[in-house]
Amino acid sequence: MPPQRRAEPPEPRPAEPPEPRPAEDFDPGLAWERTRLAWTRTAIAFAAVGAAVLKSHLVAGLTVLGLAGIVWGLRQLFRDPAVTRSQTARLLGVTLTVVAVALVALVLSFVGYPR
Amino acid sequence: MATADHSSDPGVAADAEAGPGTETEPDARYTFANERTFLAWTRTALAFILAGLGIVQLLPPFPGVPWGRHLLGVPLIVIGAAIAVVGYWQWEGNQKALRRGEPVRRSPLPRLLAAAIGGLAVVTAVVLLLSAMH
Repeated sequence: MPPQRRAEPPEPRPAEPPEPRPAEDFDPGLAWERTRLAWTRTAIAFAAVGAAVLKSHLVAGLTVLGLAGIVWGLRQLFRDPAVTRSQTARLLGVTLTVVAVALVALVLSFVGYPR
Repeated sequence: MATADHSSDPGVAADAEAGPGTETEPDARYTFANERTFLAWTRTALAFILAGLGIVQLLPPFPGVPWGRHLLGVPLIVIGAAIAVVGYWQWEGNQKALRRGEPVRRSPLPRLLAAAIGGLAVVTAVVLLLSAMH
């Protein structure tokens, strides 16, 4: 067992910074991509609620499904990350839509379900 | 070694157009992260609404506890709406804090979520016990 062999593999270069910053520090595109995927997941969740509502009420279900389509489209709107003025309206709209869907769900659970 | 065109420190951003005082536009990545957090809470809210709707509509009635489904489902839907509203409120506050370079406030949502799930679990257990004793 020659002890010199341990030194043979090249050590990590000491000249480099000890902790390289993650790639996203240089590329906000990854953050953008993650956010887009989050919008996609949210749209799918909307569609799931729409399908559940559809089971008891046709018009309300189709409406919620349509809202899911709008949320799906919203993810395209933030091409420019610097534009945050429209962001407030967008997210407030999503929030109010969720509240509206909750109200529809409440009404449906009390009114019963037309067969 | 910042090669990107955006500043890596939101506090140093030179854009003073945003408003009074020291408000500056935060790094886009922070804005994105804040937005993703909002979307995650929105999905949580939708899951609550979906669960409430499913309990009221799809479940057969608990024997002996005819109001059991509503007792479980209606709070789920209401809590879902509350999570959505608080999630937006939190997004707004975080965005403001990012612009001013302040620390973000503590979120009330994890506590709300834990209380809601714990409370609903207790109510579910009570309903099931009442139904079993019937």
